[in-house]
Amino acid sequence: MAGKYEPTIVAFLCKWCSSAGSDLAGVSRMQYPPNVVPITVMCSGSVSPLYILNAFKKGADGVLVSGCHPGDCHYIKGNYFARRRIALVKELLEFIGLEPERFKMSWVSAAEGTKYTQIIKDFVDVLEPLGPQMKLRREQ
Amino acid sequence: MVNLDDLKKEAKRILQDDKVKYVVGYTRSSAGPLASPVFIEDPEKIGELIWDASCVQNLAKFLLDEKRRKGRAKKPDTRPIAIVVKGCDSRSVNVLLQEKYIERKDVFLLGVSCEDLGVVDQKKIAQRFEGKTIQDIKFDLSPELAVTTEDGTVKLPIQEVLADRCLECQANFPVVYDVLLGDKSRKKVDEPFGSLEEIESMAAPQRWEFWQEQLGKCVRCYACRSACPMCYCDECVVDTIAFAVAADTSAEEKAQKIKWIEKSPTKSENFGYHMVRAIHLAGRCIDCGECERVCPVSIPLRHLNKKLEKAAKQLFDYNAGFEPDKPALVSSFRDEDPEDFIR
Amino acid sequence: MDMILQKKSLAPWLERLEGYDIYAPVRQDDIWNYAHVTDGRDIDLGYPNTVQSPKPIIFPQCETILEFSASEDGTPVMREVIPEPNPFVVLGMRPCDARALTLYDKVFGGDIKDPYYWKRREKGILVGLACTVPPSPNCFCPTVDGSPCSTDGLDILLTDLEDRYYVESLTKKGENLLNDAKTLFKAPTAAENKAAARIKSESEKKINRQVRQLAEVPPKLAGMFDASLWDEEAMSCLRCGICTYLCPTCHCFDIADELSSSSPLKGRRIRNWDTCQFPDFTMHSSGHNPRPDKASRLRQRILHKFHYFVVNHEAYQCTGCGRCISLCPVGIDIIEVLDKVRDYA
Repeated sequence: MAGKYEPTIVAFLCKWCSSAGSDLAGVSRMQYPPNVVPITVMCSGSVSPLYILNAFKKGADGVLVSGCHPGDCHYIKGNYFARRRIALVKELLEFIGLEPERFKMSWVSAAEGTKYTQIIKDFVDVLEPLGPQMKLRREQ
Repeated sequence: MVNLDDLKKEAKRILQDDKVKYVVGYTRSSAGPLASPVFIEDPEKIGELIWDASCVQNLAKFLLDEKRRKGRAKKPDTRPIAIVVKGCDSRSVNVLLQEKYIERKDVFLLGVSCEDLGVVDQKKIAQRFEGKTIQDIKFDLSPELAVTTEDGTVKLPIQEVLADRCLECQANFPVVYDVLLGDKSRKKVDEPFGSLEEIESMAAPQRWEFWQEQLGKCVRCYACRSACPMCYCDECVVDTIAFAVAADTSAEEKAQKIKWIEKSPTKSENFGYHMVRAIHLAGRCIDCGECERVCPVSIPLRHLNKKLEKAAKQLFDYNAGFEPDKPALVSSFRDEDPEDFIR
Repeated sequence: MDMILQKKSLAPWLERLEGYDIYAPVRQDDIWNYAHVTDGRDIDLGYPNTVQSPKPIIFPQCETILEFSASEDGTPVMREVIPEPNPFVVLGMRPCDARALTLYDKVFGGDIKDPYYWKRREKGILVGLACTVPPSPNCFCPTVDGSPCSTDGLDILLTDLEDRYYVESLTKKGENLLNDAKTLFKAPTAAENKAAARIKSESEKKINRQVRQLAEVPPKLAGMFDASLWDEEAMSCLRCGICTYLCPTCHCFDIADELSSSSPLKGRRIRNWDTCQFPDFTMHSSGHNPRPDKASRLRQRILHKFHYFVVNHEAYQCTGCGRCISLCPVGIDIIEVLDKVRDYA
């Protein structure tokens, strides 16, 4: 398989829902592509645009931000702020010409292990034809 | 019609009545055709004030200096300062009030209406006289400016060389003021986000080429940041290792400070700086246009901020600088905020 | 040696200069700047002064000075990175920008020569363009011992005679450049000699701005460290740094390390332009800042240019190009400041 391009996805997963969801996928032995670098954050509302931009700078081909469903945030309102902030980041990334397929957000609850694996599978499928992300990546 | 004598009278009055420490206004400059900020303490010097379409700077910026000065002084003088504000500038003041950076009592606002014009773009004037040497440009309160070249003097309608941002003006007269001079009728703007059309109509690869070329010119002089009244952080994200240290900050603490953006003007760092600045200004930028005007390499910076201004309006029905009592864009939400992009 | 070059022969001359990179002023959107030019026909020397001086060609904004990495046992390995540029020609340099390089020569030369600077400087051949009319309304080169037709720092000086250039080669390097395309140059006629001399002598009179009796300023500045003038003049300063970034004589820099990977360790040490106008320019690691306010930083800029540099190098660190005046967002005018210093009581 040497030479086949494998996209790298950096996923910011909120500890209480999405990260737990990914854990459920793990203990249930659900198969999904190993292309994800999961980073647990306390809340999707704590994901700063700097994390997202830095992930792309370090060479991430895709970035996912995932949190609790609206109404279920462990900190009550964090995911509502995330919903706004991530929308703004998404608008800006598209405006400067980054492929919109590279940046995604999702609501994944602690019970949605299957949904998480499906999100990752679909994300990898979408990223493969786009090739490595060279635009915001830092020159070596 | 804004009566300059009325402006001078008001400014003189508040100085004589000891209501303010000093007045920040505009005056004629020896450096070029545009106005310069002037700081007047002596009521007798009020004659230096001018008001015309060359008054481009956003004087709200100097509120930040005043706050820093007060912070450093052992026995600060707590009298307010007065600033002359155009419509756009007054929205900056509202944002500073909204964020509780200053208090309403700290500033006396001498509001002037741009009525149906605005301020000029010096580059547009230069383009009109391409190949000629401009010897002098004279402004007065009329809707025309007089340009003298080796061919003589011509009158140029200000409307034809208005700054781009004035063509999308959302506040042609101040929205917060202590005194307001000039007509208070809203200027009609057909396309408030018209300047974005060209870039938005490009396909993603062309948009990338455009921004790569433009931001590739950046020399990281940070003039855009210095000119912006909303960039008031003591420690900017690009200066993470410079500031928040004291004599007792441990070496380990300093070594662990995260450097989000490097100093070198390479592509990824330039993109990082400008994008982070645009996001930090989301819901705060009021399009005074100073960032783009001061850029020594002519990067069309306004568009980055304008895009987020459009997003704020269309997605969240949010307009910066009009309601200082409401919460900021990113520290509030509505139940109906769009989530069609979220799986 | 003086020659005449027809303007239509300019592009052919440049084409014959094989092996040289050519830098010339080009139009970029609505401003002029020096850029690497591959097609001689893109060059238009009828330009006002460039926004950025040609200093980035010889003193780049960002320069790698060494690279480091960790070998397998963890010992750091450092590799010096000395530039080896192609020989290059800078075309159309204004005399003020060329004089500025002679000031850099003093700073980067002397007892210890900066290898990064000199490796580029030595490879450059500077072809200047005399200023028939002042390129900027804020030019004041005669005040600071310059002139619109000065030859300081240049290898060749061109003077515009409508449809041709009067070409003076001033150094061996300049002469070699002419010899590479001998057939394109002719000896000047007596009329052409006269025309060039007339244009040059008239050019200085066309400069409108000056600081009278500038020589009184350096000794005056010595006693003005605590003057209240600096507070007044710096009130409107935005500490944006444009004055120093665009100044052809400013040369302060900052050294920083940037990692491209931390494990295994790999990175480079770079030199970036810095400016005394930034608040953190003199920030100490203890948190103390001897120049915490705009007044002290404006004072520094003026004292450095018109007092310290005069004491250290017997020259003003200013060539009167006027860029800092024209491009300051708030119109802080160095000529006005110097007038006030001279008259300060």
